[in-house]
Amino acid sequence: MTTLKTERTPSTAAARARMSTQQLNESGLAVALVALVVLLAFTTDSFFTASNLWNILGDAALVGIVAWAGTLVIVAGEIDISVGPAVAFWGVILAKLMGPWGGLPLAVAIVITLIGGLLVGAFAGWLRGQFGVPSFIVTLGLWSALRGLAQFMTDALPVPIQDSSFLDRLGGKIGPVPTAAILLFVLFFVFAFVARSTSFGRSVYAVGGNARAAGLSGIRVLRVRVVLFATSGLMAALLGIVYAGRLSSGNSGAAQGLEFSVIAAVVVGGTALSGGRGSMLGTLLGVLFITVIGNGLIIWGVNSFFQDVVRGALIVLAVLINTLLGRRSGAGVD
Amino acid sequence: MTQPAAEVRGATKTYGGVHALVGVDFSVEPSEVRALLGKNGAGKSTLIRLLSGAESPDSGRVWIGGVEMERSTVQEAHRLGVRTVYQELTLIPGMTVAENLFMARWPGRGRIDHRRMERDAREALDRIGLRIDPRSLVGQLSIADRQLVEIARAVHDDPRLLILDEPTSSLAAAEVDRVVQAVATIQKAGVAVIFVSHRVPEIRRVASSATVMRDGRKVGDLELAATSTVEMVDLMLGETSQETERVAKPLTPGPVLAEVRGLDVEPKLHEVDLDIRAGEVLGIAGVLGSGRTELLQVIAGLRAADAGTVHIEGTRIDGRGLHRALSLGVGLTPEDRKNDGIVPEMGMDENLVLSDLGSVSTSGVLSKAKVSTAAREAMETMSIKTSSPHLAVGSLSGGNQQKVVIGRWIHAGSRLLLLDEPTRGVDVRAKAQIYALVRRLATQGKAVVFVSSEMEELNLVCDRVVVLNHGRITAEHHAPDIETDQLLLAAIAEN
Repeated sequence: MTTLKTERTPSTAAARARMSTQQLNESGLAVALVALVVLLAFTTDSFFTASNLWNILGDAALVGIVAWAGTLVIVAGEIDISVGPAVAFWGVILAKLMGPWGGLPLAVAIVITLIGGLLVGAFAGWLRGQFGVPSFIVTLGLWSALRGLAQFMTDALPVPIQDSSFLDRLGGKIGPVPTAAILLFVLFFVFAFVARSTSFGRSVYAVGGNARAAGLSGIRVLRVRVVLFATSGLMAALLGIVYAGRLSSGNSGAAQGLEFSVIAAVVVGGTALSGGRGSMLGTLLGVLFITVIGNGLIIWGVNSFFQDVVRGALIVLAVLINTLLGRRSGAGVD
Repeated sequence: MTQPAAEVRGATKTYGGVHALVGVDFSVEPSEVRALLGKNGAGKSTLIRLLSGAESPDSGRVWIGGVEMERSTVQEAHRLGVRTVYQELTLIPGMTVAENLFMARWPGRGRIDHRRMERDAREALDRIGLRIDPRSLVGQLSIADRQLVEIARAVHDDPRLLILDEPTSSLAAAEVDRVVQAVATIQKAGVAVIFVSHRVPEIRRVASSATVMRDGRKVGDLELAATSTVEMVDLMLGETSQETERVAKPLTPGPVLAEVRGLDVEPKLHEVDLDIRAGEVLGIAGVLGSGRTELLQVIAGLRAADAGTVHIEGTRIDGRGLHRALSLGVGLTPEDRKNDGIVPEMGMDENLVLSDLGSVSTSGVLSKAKVSTAAREAMETMSIKTSSPHLAVGSLSGGNQQKVVIGRWIHAGSRLLLLDEPTRGVDVRAKAQIYALVRRLATQGKAVVFVSSEMEELNLVCDRVVVLNHGRITAEHHAPDIETDQLLLAAIAEN
């Protein structure tokens, strides 16, 4: 039945306001981050030191390197909870390739590991895209299977990697700067570019914004989903290699709870779980915010269990604020 | 003298500047089945919303069973005995028939008394002559059965007034019988029934009287047995005055771009033959449920046919997938703009280029300049009003959104445009702009298929119109001799 109300046009002011909800959220988060840093600088002696600040960036990188792809995944309306086990798994694979499985040279082992991560991710994307298995389920399966495989292959013992100066450097520093942090920022710019200025990136946003409209417009939705999860898998493998460098071994217990930190950073940064909206900058702020809080809580000497309470409360609070911000700017699209 | 089951006096309702109802008097007696007729926008749905408490009139009064409805709420109307069954079924597919029948009113305190529920369910189903197991899952039932369960739910507690909104538009002929019988049984039990539909054959079988509405007013109460369908159409349309001029001289069409032969899509389409030519606007007229959307879906490669073929310049496309059709130059603007047409958070610029990202990018990298140019061009040629091409398209008016969706295929260089109800929910000015745009496209040599249930607009924009009735093409008219009343007649009359 046709509706007799001609569709309401929200006033231009409200429309403009809605568009800058993202900017508002990012500014708010940036302010909160600065305030937090200031607070910590004044209430402790050890927070605002060069070495601690570099450490923070190094820690942030251990989440951020996979959070860029994680942002795109969530923008597409999907989710990837297999990140933690994937990182551990690919670290183990690297160690095995360089050791008991043929003593392959580093470069070869790295390439094989990265391709492996890509292929496993592509498989997950294919299951989601072709058969409609929800990504939560597919990646839940991987979450369990990859960790289990890693533990199985290693008897839950670390697999040492023979001396490799490259790997040590990768897991360590260049001068005072943690190498992972450099990688973090390089990838940030790459993904920000992809998200904003490439056909693929815009297709991800289109699929997340309205998959049916995107499909009917000719976007190859299946392809987008496969490439998306392949990228997520690739980044997990990359981080796995970084971890292997840090630990000088492949460790099946590495990166516990990483997926939680990634999702937390992404949503605190303003990306909606429903998809279609989000930015790399928001995720960067989210990663930094969560890392700084973690660091601060340790320096303040807060019980480590309580840190989890703080993180949990934080995520809900951040998303609540973002939801309210989105609502205040007029008739929602939902 | 018995009270009418429902009565409305002097009802007026205005939305924004639109007069949805103007001084409408209406009444229906117990055991009467009254058809409610009128074209889109005539006021049928507003009248129903008044009776079901979903809206309150700006002025006028409503009585149900002699009791005035003081507060217009759905609960109040329900309490007074009004039940409405809409087109969109509200059953939960994962639950059983019995559970659905007593949704939120399951017998038993805290713990559901299943035995009693099933017994009561059987009674409710018997009441309308529906023989299905109350323990079966709704998700496994046919559409007709679901429709009937929805009706059974509405009448199981003896309402005064049952309103059925397009109850048969999704059903095949054999299934319609069952609804007709159910209504007859309900009527005998004393319930008043309002039956909103465009399908005259069914209306004649199920109802004895009809109320016709036009432009918010009631223009007639008829005895169906004594009124011909032509007279009904005349009442529904009235004097058609048109601001936009109709197509005076049809374009000389170019070669045939698409051939539809013997198309069958059960249960909607039967033996459809069509030629779609370049440089021609072909209208497809049909009311809800006539099969228009299915026809477009097959031509766009989205759906396979049960029989028959569709070729584009010799290449078969039915059931071959959307991308095959797109590569051959087809573009489809869906009926449901909001859910299938736009990506609401993206700007008009990105929505516009979505079907041909290649044309505004090099090696996968988008050129902001090219996107910007495309957007500015479209805004100019189609008069798309927006404060910025980056502004989320979801905040634009329906008319502007529609232009963006059409513009997408113009940008992609489509030569066969399938427009499904392109002016639905669009303001008057934007409609005129869309008509002009469509004429221009045809003049440029594109083939345009313009599907609409709004009969009046077809001769403003089409060179040729075919009418779909119950899945068959029953008429063809050429400009300048496309007459709205003949179109409507052909669309709703019994074959």
